[in-house]
Amino acid sequence: MSAVSVESLPELESAEVVAQRRRKRSIALGAFVVLATLALVMSHEVPSWLDLNIQTKAQQAYKWTIIHRQSAPIFTHFFQPLTDFLQWLYDMGMHVLEFLRWPGVVAMAGAIGWRTGGVRAGIGAAAAMLGVGMVADWNLAMITLDIMLVSVLIALVLGIPLGIWTARSDRAERVIRVLLDTAQVMPIFVYFSPVQVFFGIKVPPAIIVTVIYALPPAVRLTNHGLRNVPVVLNEVGESFGANARQQLFKVQLPVARRAILLGLNQVIMMAFGVVVLASLLGTGDLGQVVLNGLQKQKVGDAAAAGLGIVLLAISLDRMSTGERSHKFSRLGAAMPAVPRRVANGVAVVAVVLAVVVGQALNATAFPAWLTVDVASPIDSFVTWVQDTFRHQTQATSDFLVTYIIEPIENLLQWLPWFVVVVAVSFIGFVSKGWRLATGVGLCLFLIAALGTIPGGDGRVLLWDLAMATLSQVLVAIVLSVVIALPLGMISGRSDRFERFLRPFLDIAQVLPAFVYLIPVVFLFGVGRSAGVVACVIYAVPPCIRLTSLGMREVPHAPREAATSFGATGQQEMRMVQLPLARKSILLGINQTLMMVLATVIIAALVGAGGLGLVAYEATAKPNIKLGQGVAGGLAIVLLAIMLDRVTQAWGTSKQGGNQ
Amino acid sequence: MISVRDLWKVYGPRAERIVGSPEADLPRGQLEAQHGNVVAMRDVSLDVAPGEVFVVMGLSGSGKSTLIRCITRLIEPTAGKVFIEGDDVTAANDDQLLQIRRHKVSMVFQHFGLLPHRTLLDNVAFGLELRGVDKKDRRERADRTLALVGLPGMGEYKPHQLSGGQQQRVGLARALATDPDIMLFDEPFSALDPLIRREMQDEIVRLRRELGKTMMFITHDLQEALRLGDRIAIMRDGRFVQVGTPAEVVLQPADEYVANFVRDVPRSHIVPVDAVMAPPSDGPFSGEVSADTKVRDVVALVAHNELPVRVVRDGATVGTIDRVGVLSVIAGEDR
Repeated sequence: MSAVSVESLPELESAEVVAQRRRKRSIALGAFVVLATLALVMSHEVPSWLDLNIQTKAQQAYKWTIIHRQSAPIFTHFFQPLTDFLQWLYDMGMHVLEFLRWPGVVAMAGAIGWRTGGVRAGIGAAAAMLGVGMVADWNLAMITLDIMLVSVLIALVLGIPLGIWTARSDRAERVIRVLLDTAQVMPIFVYFSPVQVFFGIKVPPAIIVTVIYALPPAVRLTNHGLRNVPVVLNEVGESFGANARQQLFKVQLPVARRAILLGLNQVIMMAFGVVVLASLLGTGDLGQVVLNGLQKQKVGDAAAAGLGIVLLAISLDRMSTGERSHKFSRLGAAMPAVPRRVANGVAVVAVVLAVVVGQALNATAFPAWLTVDVASPIDSFVTWVQDTFRHQTQATSDFLVTYIIEPIENLLQWLPWFVVVVAVSFIGFVSKGWRLATGVGLCLFLIAALGTIPGGDGRVLLWDLAMATLSQVLVAIVLSVVIALPLGMISGRSDRFERFLRPFLDIAQVLPAFVYLIPVVFLFGVGRSAGVVACVIYAVPPCIRLTSLGMREVPHAPREAATSFGATGQQEMRMVQLPLARKSILLGINQTLMMVLATVIIAALVGAGGLGLVAYEATAKPNIKLGQGVAGGLAIVLLAIMLDRVTQAWGTSKQGGNQ
Repeated sequence: MISVRDLWKVYGPRAERIVGSPEADLPRGQLEAQHGNVVAMRDVSLDVAPGEVFVVMGLSGSGKSTLIRCITRLIEPTAGKVFIEGDDVTAANDDQLLQIRRHKVSMVFQHFGLLPHRTLLDNVAFGLELRGVDKKDRRERADRTLALVGLPGMGEYKPHQLSGGQQQRVGLARALATDPDIMLFDEPFSALDPLIRREMQDEIVRLRRELGKTMMFITHDLQEALRLGDRIAIMRDGRFVQVGTPAEVVLQPADEYVANFVRDVPRSHIVPVDAVMAPPSDGPFSGEVSADTKVRDVVALVAHNELPVRVVRDGATVGTIDRVGVLSVIAGEDR
């Protein structure tokens, strides 16, 4: 008897199944054609009977909250105390930062960077923090920092227990993940109107919005860290008789600690990107300076504050990267090796000294002699650039608007609304099936049902604004992918190219989308093309990174096999690496698309119009415009869900891909 | 010490239904396709006597890891009973189960399973810590146990600073530190180099001689099974094909599967003289050996002398063996 037996093979898809799928597809195509013709015959415009009056209802609800703020238990017992608590946390943070004085904050940044990430990170963090004071208003920067720290703290306090829960229960993970992912994918303006209703203005709503974005990475990374605890270590705990609590605190959390700490960086950077935008709620921090500068075309002021934001981001990044790798560092090697405890002591003493010096000198304000005036040189530089390149940039901008953005926008707005609904449903069907088709169709249908807002001459359909936003998104994503995909592919194959790109990508990853608006506005003025260009600049680096990563994740064995059969490098890429990386690349494009959408919405700040403007305008005048803001926000949510689900379906479809 | 009765582990929906039913005998693929079930272990019964080393041998996927995990319910068995020192483990509540795991049984793992964030000392003290032994006490005991496994004074190292063999010594020390009556070994040496593996096997033999623990040992390595086991169970497709002493398994394989396995085993290393000796006779003899001596160790005696060797047990002559007898065992190896 032989010990070897051929295992039975799984059945191939029968011809019948394939034929059935084809039949289904042609039925859908037929239905699409019929419906589209019907729609063409029907009215072009969204009919007015479709209006669900959401705007009026939202406005009424807001009025109710204003009247009952002092009396309704939900406010007096929940939202108001919560708001006060957030304000209190913020005030405490401000006291601490004021007590530290600027020398203390700089020393603290350096000490944290040094003790968690090494000498180089410490110097970087301290230098960047000092730079913040040099180029921008130190006190405003501290407001930004304070809001961010409070938000990160709350995100961790909520996120780690949630992460533990999701790691223990698959069902909790499914539900919470969908909720958090959806919340995170939404462009920030969506939240402005609702948080204003419940938390008023200024700091507390800004903290809430920031927490919404900082929470998902905190939960995800805790969950991920805990779930990646090797099975054997869990078994070790169990087999020696650990109860649930011992298992968590003695085995799982300590083993996952590293992963969770690495995640802290993502939480911080995510929070930071949001904080500067949340300044629109009236926090009066650095973000607001940028905003004012942009709107009043005061380039230098905006750029100086923007530079401050960038430096603050870099400083925070240095402080929280942790032990990157055990790579040899010349700087580290030059330092005498000191035991950990001694080094920690030195760090503490340095911070205390800095605080004492700061107090002794009564250094309440950042000293004027240390500040550098960046605004005026930037102003003159920008003037020079504008004078010199105005023609080119103007021509590019005009070209983008006249020949690309407007034709698409016009087409989408000209098409009978129902044709768009049916067409997108059809795309959904081909991508995945009936459920997705129904879902995305419903999203668009609801957008159509959001009614009109005052604008231009008379009233504008929210549908038309959604189409305007959609057209900008489409143009920006296509441009981004066209630029990023080839670069990502090269970087996925060439180590040298990857090393060359990495510093740029690293910096780009740290900067909030907001910052990109500044240079773009100098060059292209305000308008739709500026928005699209900002989107592309913001979306290209992550798209390159994700493409490159997808290419590099392809297992080595099949590539080597192809080479051994005599495939040329180009054949190997085309026939092995790209097909195997397809899924990851498509998921990368999905992520890029969501970033593009977020930026298109933000670009309303620089005159890109569309849904972003509706959502954002309402923040300034909630008394009359809140209903519109809610409707605009809803439209963005629906658009985001639609785009996300369709492109996600491409990345997760069954055929081919990475396993 | 350990008794297992009719133990089953079936994965998939409504697993209890499959136990003992005709479906359980369906081919693996068919059962999974029709019912979504996989039978990892079927109808296993065994008894391990105090102080015995019981080895379960099988290839990957044979169900041996499932079996050892069911003993302390790291995996919940679908049906059947497990008794440890007479206590029904399968009926124990959560608290009783914790007590059994903390006091009676400990386990050594294939990939060591050392906690990377703890020093060696704290790794070894882990079981005592879970039990609630105070810090000074448990560290003292951990220190002694580290010395016992040949790593004296290395308590402050971290696991990643050690070689694989040293790490498994720590794993062994951790299992010994709680002073359990029963030790379970899940392929503890299969991740080690052959030379180190040999060394660790010697370590087990030594510890067993010195401490007299009852051991259940999982391996896929027949040589290891034969070296360590008082009895060996050969496992295939989730069931025991044969249970017996090394000599029984080698000399009387239960079926072709086992026969294929043991074909290349040098019999003279396994077979004791009393299994092949001739009836007692009146000598003269060239020497005497005890009944449990392996045939291989008689070679030197008979090689230089035509006379047979006397085989004794408890001082009485129980048989004889001569050159022909020895050679026929050795020759039988090439059958």
